[in-house]
Order: sequence, then C-alpha cells, then structure tokens
Amino acid sequence: MTSQTILLVEDNPDDEALTLRAFEKSNIRNRVVVMRDGAEALAYLFPGDGDGDGDGAPRPALILLDLNLPKVGGLEVLRRMRADERTQMIPVVVLTSSKLEEDILVSYRNGANAYVRKPVKFSDFTDAVKALGVFWLLLNEPVPVSGRKSD
Amino acid sequence: MTPPAALTPPYDGMFVALLEAVPDAMVCIAADGRVVLVNAQAERLFGYERTELIGQPAEIVLPDTAPAEHPRHWAAYAADLQYRPMGAGLALAGRRRDASTFPAEISLSAIDTGEGILVAAAVRDVTAQLRMKDLERASESRESFVYAVSHDLRAPLRALSGYSGVLLEDYGGVLGEEGRGYAERIVAVSEQMRQLIDYLLQVSQISRAELHRQPVDLGAEAARIAEEIQRREPDRRVRVTIQQPVQAWADSGLIRTVLENLLDNAWKFTSGQDDASIEFGTAPSGDAAVCYYVRDNGVGFDPAYAGKLFQPFQRLHASRDFPGTGTGLASVRQIVELHGGHVWAEGAVGAGATFYFTLDGKESA
Repeated sequence: MTSQTILLVEDNPDDEALTLRAFEKSNIRNRVVVMRDGAEALAYLFPGDGDGDGDGAPRPALILLDLNLPKVGGLEVLRRMRADERTQMIPVVVLTSSKLEEDILVSYRNGANAYVRKPVKFSDFTDAVKALGVFWLLLNEPVPVSGRKSD
Repeated sequence: MTPPAALTPPYDGMFVALLEAVPDAMVCIAADGRVVLVNAQAERLFGYERTELIGQPAEIVLPDTAPAEHPRHWAAYAADLQYRPMGAGLALAGRRRDASTFPAEISLSAIDTGEGILVAAAVRDVTAQLRMKDLERASESRESFVYAVSHDLRAPLRALSGYSGVLLEDYGGVLGEEGRGYAERIVAVSEQMRQLIDYLLQVSQISRAELHRQPVDLGAEAARIAEEIQRREPDRRVRVTIQQPVQAWADSGLIRTVLENLLDNAWKFTSGQDDASIEFGTAPSGDAAVCYYVRDNGVGFDPAYAGKLFQPFQRLHASRDFPGTGTGLASVRQIVELHGGHVWAEGAVGAGATFYFTLDGKESA
C-alpha cells in the first residue's frame, strides 16, 4: 500500500502543509508528491512529452487537484489527463475552495471522480483528508494493471 | 426640393395618421438630406415646432459628431436601399433645440413614395436604458467582487484555524492551560468568521441566482431537516409537530435554506426548555394565499427589537448564551423576498417566537 504515490497539486503552501500533516496524522504513509502549479503537474505526469509514450512516467494512485492554480489551471490538467490513455483512469479528487455550481459541474464533466470543498475548520479539514485517503487508497479497488493501456 | 406645404400625395391623410401613431419620433428625410415630415413625438423629443424642422438639413437633429456609420448622405443611403428597404439599429445621438444631445437608437427605412425615395428615421431616446445597463453592470461587478473576496478570504482563514489546531494538538503541553485557551479562541473565532464569509458568499449567490420554482412539499422538507438536527444532538428531547403535506411553489434549494435557518433557530432558542416544542404549519393570511410559520416555545425576543431580527449581523442574544453570527434570518428574508413574499416575527421575552413567511401568492396552493 505504501508504494502507491499520492500526487497533490496545490499552490497554497498552508493548504499543502495542513494536507500533508493530515495524511501523517491519519497514518497514511504513502509518498506524497507535491506540484505547485498546473504546468509542473503536467510535466510530472507526462515527462518528455512529445516523444510518444513516456515510459516510466509516474502513475500516482490518487491525485488531489486544486482548481485555481498558477500557469495551467486544474481543469486543464484534468482535461489533458482524461484525453491521454496513460492517465485516463487515475482517480482525481478535485480539492478546492470553490463551491460554484459551474466549477462542480465542469469538473465532473471533465472526468473528476470526486469533488471536495476544502473545509475551513481545522478538524473538518483533517477529517476530510483522512476520509479521502482511506477511501481512495484502502477501500476503493484500483484499476487493474492489465487495464492500463501502456503498462 | 421644397417641402410640401399641404398634405398632398404622397403625404396623404392615411400616411400622416400612420406616422403620428408610431410611438417613436419619426423624421422623414428626402434624398437631398432635408427634413420633409415629422410627427408630434419628434417635436416633443427634439423641442422644435414642426414648421421649424421642415426644410432643414437632417443634421439639425442628428448631429454630425456621430460615428462614421452615421448615414450623413441621405441620398446615398436612399439610393443604396432603393430595392431593399430595411431597418438598422444604430447607436447614435440626437440633438435637441437647446443643443443638448442624448443617446439615441435610430432605425432607418427607405420608403418609395412613387415620386422619389424618402428615408424615414425612427429616433428613440435610450438614456434610461443605458443608465439601467450601467446599473446592472455595476451591480454584477459588485457581486462578483464580493464573491471573489469572500472566496479568497477562506484560504488564509483555513490556515489560521489549521495552525491553531496544530498548536493545540502537537504543542498543547508546551502551551499550558492558558495558552491552549487562547489557541481555542483562535479556532472558535476562525469558525465564526467562516460563517460570516459563507453568509457573504450566500448573499452574492442568492442575488445572482435565478429562481427555479417547482412544487415543493415544505412539510416533508421540514420533517427531514428536523430529523437532521435531532441527529446532531441526539440527547435533546424536543416535541416537533409538522403539518404535512404543505405544498408550495418555490425554489427547492433556496426554500430549504429558509426552513433550515428557521428550524435551527427554533432548536437553538429552546435549548433551555424542559418541554421544548417546535411547530411548522400554515395559517390563513390576509393578502397571500398561504402563510407558513415556524413556532417555538423558547426564550423569545423583545418585540421592540423585532425590526432588527432580519438585519444581517444583528443579534438579540449574547453569543455566550446562543452562538451565532446573526446572518440566518437575513438570508431568510432575502430568499423570501426573492420569491415575492414577506417574513415577520411575533414573540415576547420568555414566551417563544413565531416566524411567519409568505411566498408569492401566484400558483402556490
């Protein structure tokens, strides 16, 4: 279980620190990779983009994606991931401050697996991160390896 | 070309009567660019007697400071449109007799009189419409500003609440009792500020929202909400009486917020009561078809301050006794009024409170 990587795409250092701590406190010991804008996230997911297949590219078990990101926005990251068969099926949880109906709709329309609004209250925030980790990394059955096209 | 002195063809009685019947100011211009006919609306709009206008160049009322598309050359316009009469909405200006100008919408059509082409210009003063548009734009940008600000305020607040929580959990021992107390206060006021920000967000969203009315059973909604509240505080014993069904024609999401706020309040303000009771139902009303109410036998309020109840951030009780931000009833009023209804309260200190609201009488059963 601990071999699975979580990708956190988050530009706010406070949210990053609190999310990492919440994982730690929930005994979720997976490696967490943090990318601080959409361009970084895309470069991480599609290393050496343009040369075709990008062998050895990381396949996180879970992606926590903020929407409002510098350079390339979260929705664009999601769109590119869903358009590429290598990343098509990775669970993506949109984790954002926005509760605008259109943000929620567009996220689902573009293939988000879940949409969670970051709670302001500390205990709620910790609970939410813990619940996400437990559900997506322990309870949820991941996509079988044979189903991943390029593996 | 000399303007016709009398109503000789083609300007016969029928033509002139039609022209006078048009609600817009009409200025008919001959191919040489001179005014040949106007209606009473044009006289009023421009402040001229019609005898002062007839024979004058059209520019007397349609200033040549207008943009390039201004059809200055009426002859060319008329020639161009000889075979395809059409109206064109142009954003231009009109000039009154006192040289003042006003924003105008001008539609042109070419009329073949049989003895040459007339250009009929329908001129409408759009000052009011433009002002309305400005107001709408200002209000839209104010709302999106409120939305953006309140949205962005949440991030630092989350950090504030978060780090105080971390201090409590990880450094509670070092802080000591007094230190922990202060950290707890930071967590508590962060939560209070979150509620205030959520209220701002809600206000900006409600005022941007369009009503999606549908039949809603308010009784069933109220029962669901009461169950949720009871689940949050399973130890409290409250007698809840809910009339069902209570049909209403309302926006289901928004009306749910109304019931939540009213029932939450009833629950909160009966917390000291041994025989707490909360009631939802309908009552006859003067002007509206139905009047809905939520009644409780809680601490009530001083009727002298009843007017303050529905104002945002106004509280009639100390936070120490009954926590809250004073925004719930303000939301209630906003939503009820958006539905074309009213909300009011009756009560007395120690004698409970009843909150009444109506929704637009139309189509509500």
